[in-house]
Amino acid sequence: MSAGVHIIAAPGDIPAPHIEYGQLAPMLIVFGVAVLGVLVEALAGRPWRYRIQVPLAFAGLLAAFVWTIVLAWRHEPFHVAAMGALGVDGPTLFLQGTILVLALVSLLLIAERSAAHFTAQASALPGSEAEQQSMSAGITQTEIFPLMMFAVGGMLMFPASNDLLTMFVALEVLSLPLYLLCGLARRRRLLSQEAAVKYFLLGAFSSAFFLYGAALLYGYAGSVRLSDISAQAGQGAGGETLLLAGIALLSVGLLFKLGAVPFHMWKPDVYQGAPTPITALMASCTLVSAFGALLRVYYVGFETLRWDWRPAMWGVAIITMVVGAVVAITQTDIKRMLAYSSIAHAGFLLTGVVATSRQGLSGTLFYLAAYGFTTIGAFAVVTMVRDAGGEAAHLSRWAGLGRRSPVIAGVFAFFLLAMAGIPLTSGFTGKFAVFSAAVDGGATPLVVVGVLASAIAAFFYVRVIVVMFFSDPEADGPSVVVSPATATAVALGLTVTVVLGVLPQPVLDLAGTAASQMFVR
Amino acid sequence: MTGQEIVFTLLGVVAVGSAVMVVTTRQLVHAALWLVVSFGALAGGYLVLTAEFVAWVQVLIYVGAVVVLLLFGIMLTRAPIGPVPRSGEDDPLDSGNRWAALAVAVATAAVLITVLVMGFRDSRIRLEAGGGGAEPLGGSLFRTWVLPFEVLSVLLLAALVGAIVLSRTDIGAEDDEPGTDIPARTGGPAPDGGARVGGAKTGAGTDTGGRTGSGGSKGGGAKVDHSAEIAGAETDVKGGDGKAGAAEGSRGGADGARGREEGGG
Repeated sequence: MSAGVHIIAAPGDIPAPHIEYGQLAPMLIVFGVAVLGVLVEALAGRPWRYRIQVPLAFAGLLAAFVWTIVLAWRHEPFHVAAMGALGVDGPTLFLQGTILVLALVSLLLIAERSAAHFTAQASALPGSEAEQQSMSAGITQTEIFPLMMFAVGGMLMFPASNDLLTMFVALEVLSLPLYLLCGLARRRRLLSQEAAVKYFLLGAFSSAFFLYGAALLYGYAGSVRLSDISAQAGQGAGGETLLLAGIALLSVGLLFKLGAVPFHMWKPDVYQGAPTPITALMASCTLVSAFGALLRVYYVGFETLRWDWRPAMWGVAIITMVVGAVVAITQTDIKRMLAYSSIAHAGFLLTGVVATSRQGLSGTLFYLAAYGFTTIGAFAVVTMVRDAGGEAAHLSRWAGLGRRSPVIAGVFAFFLLAMAGIPLTSGFTGKFAVFSAAVDGGATPLVVVGVLASAIAAFFYVRVIVVMFFSDPEADGPSVVVSPATATAVALGLTVTVVLGVLPQPVLDLAGTAASQMFVR
Repeated sequence: MTGQEIVFTLLGVVAVGSAVMVVTTRQLVHAALWLVVSFGALAGGYLVLTAEFVAWVQVLIYVGAVVVLLLFGIMLTRAPIGPVPRSGEDDPLDSGNRWAALAVAVATAAVLITVLVMGFRDSRIRLEAGGGGAEPLGGSLFRTWVLPFEVLSVLLLAALVGAIVLSRTDIGAEDDEPGTDIPARTGGPAPDGGARVGGAKTGAGTDTGGRTGSGGSKGGGAKVDHSAEIAGAETDVKGGDGKAGAAEGSRGGADGARGREEGGG
C-alpha cells in the first residue's frame, strides 16, 4: 500500500494539459455555436429562434472556415495538438475546409423555409391530432440547427483524431445528432422515423465493432495512439491475432460509416427516409469525414501492415463499386438511386485508399471535394421538384420534366453526368485522379473493375436523363418550386462541378500540397 | 494458485452464473436483481485487479443507476411483475428466435475467447496497488484525454437536446402566443381556413397564393393564418391544378395531414 499513500498529492499538483486553442479553433467555434444555439432555444422566444439560429449557424461555419484557411495559409509546422488527441496537418485541414464549405451549402437547404422539410413537432405521433395542431400552429423545430452544428463539429474532429479513443468519441458526436435529424422529416414521417431507428440500431452495432477493434488494438500495442500502433506493428511485436482481429473489427466500424458494401444496408433506407437536406449533409459531409478518418487510420496506424489489409480492401472496393452500380439500376425512387450511386462512389474512392501513396491521398481529397458538391447539388434539385405530398420521389413522376422546366432538368442532368464521370465535369477529374493513383500503386485490375462499374453506373444516370427529356410529361406532374436559398445551393454545386471539371488544376494543386506532407503522426 | 487468483475465479463464476440466471428466470424483477449480483461480481473482479476506482464506478453506475433504471422501466411499462406461467406458443417471455439467439451468443463468445486466449496466452501483468486508483485515472483523464473527455460532454448535451425534441409534447403551447389555446381551436376554424385557402389558390395560382389568401382571411386569429399557410403550401405544389387544390383545402387540417401521409407513402 506504500505506493497508494505515496501518490496522494497536494491540490493543484496536477500539471495542466497543454491545449493549442488556436489550432483547434475551427472545431471549438463550431461546438461553441452549437452550445449557443441550445441557449437560444432555451432563452429566446419562439418567433425569434429561427431568425437567430440561421445567422448564428452561418456565421459559425463561416468563421470556422476562415480560420481553417488561415491555419493552412500560415504553414505552421504541422503537429499533434491537444495532448496528442488531434493531428493538425495538411490533409486534415483540407478535409476540414471541405466539410465546412459543404456544411455551409447544406445549411442553405436546411434553413430553407418556404418549403419546410422538417416536422413541426417530432414528438407528435404521425397522423395524430397533436401533429395537426402543431402544424397549424406554425411551429418549426429550430433545434435542428444546434443538432446540425454538433454533427458538423464531430465531423471536423473525426478525420483529425490521432488516437482511437478520440476517434470513437468523434464518431459518436457526429452520429448521434444525425440519427435524430433523420427522423424529423415533415412528410412521410413513418418512413423517416423508420430510417432513424434503423440508422441508430445499425450505427450502434458498428460503434460496438469499432470499440472492440480499438480494445484489441490496445491489447496489442498497449496504446490507442495510431503512431504507437504503427510502431509496434513495425517491430512485429506481440501476437498477430490481436492485431489482425483489431484491424478487421475497426475497419467494420469505419466502412459502415462510408457505406461500403457488406455494411451498406442502411444507406438506401436512411437516404430515402431522412429529410432531403439532411440526406445532402450525410451524403457530402459525413462521407468526407468518414473517408478522412479511414485514410488517417490506414495511412498512419496500419501503414506498415499494408500487405495485410490491402487484399481485403481490394475486395471491399470491388464489391462496393459493382453492387452499388448494379443495384442502382433497379431503383425507382430517386433518393434511393442517389444512395446507391453514393455507395458506388464510396467504392471508387476506396481505390484511392488502396493506392496508399501520396498521389492516392491527394486524388481522394480532390474526389471527395468534387463529389460532395455534386451530390449536394443533386439533392437540392430533388427538394425543388415537388408533388402535392412533398417531393416527387418516384422516378416516373420525373417524366417530361425537361419540357416543363428545362433549366432544372438540365442542371440535374449535368449533376448526373458529373457523377457518371463525363469529361469536362468534376466527376471525370476526380475519377481520373484516383484511378491513375491506383494504377501507379499497382492496382490495375481494380481500376479495370472501377471503369466497368462506372460504365454500368452511367447507364442508370443516363436513364434518368432520358426519362426527364424524352418522355411525355404527365398531366398532373410535379411542379418545380424555386426558392432563393435552394437555388443558391444548386448554383454553388453547379459552379463547383463545372469549375472543377474545366479548370481543376488549382484545386488539384491544393490537394497535392495538402497531401505532400501526408498525415502527421 | 494464489489467493488472488482463487478469488478472481470465484467472482468470475458468480458473474457468469448470475448472468445465466438473468436470462433464464421467469420473473422480470428477479432478472433485474440477478443483474445486480452479476455487476457486483464484476466490480469485485475489478477490485482484485487493483482497479479500485473502476470498481466503485461499476457499483455506482451499473448497480446503482442502471439496475434502478431497469426496475423503473418494469414499473412504468406495467410489465408482468409476478412469476409468468409458461403458456406454450405465445409465451410472453419467449421468442421463436431463441435458438438462433443462443447460437449467435455462443458463437460470439467463442470468437472472443479464442482471440483473447490467442492474444494473451503468455502475457502476465504485474499488479501494483493503486494502479487503478482515482488519482492516476483522474490525472490521465484531465491531462492526456482532456479533449475527448470534454467533447463527451458535448455529446451528452446533444443527446439531451435530442431527447427533448423527440419526447416533449407540450412545446409551443405557451411562449409567444399567450392566451391562444390550441386544443380549443382545432375543431372549428381550421377547415374553414383551409377552404378559404383552396379558393385563394384557384384564384392566384402562384406560389404566394396561399399566403396572400391567409393574410386576407379575416377574424381567424393567428392560428388560422398558420393553418392556412400550411394548407396553402400543400396545395400550391399541385402546379395549377386548382380543383384538386380546393378539394384538398376544404377537407381541412386533420384530414389533410392524414392525406399527406398517404399521398407521400
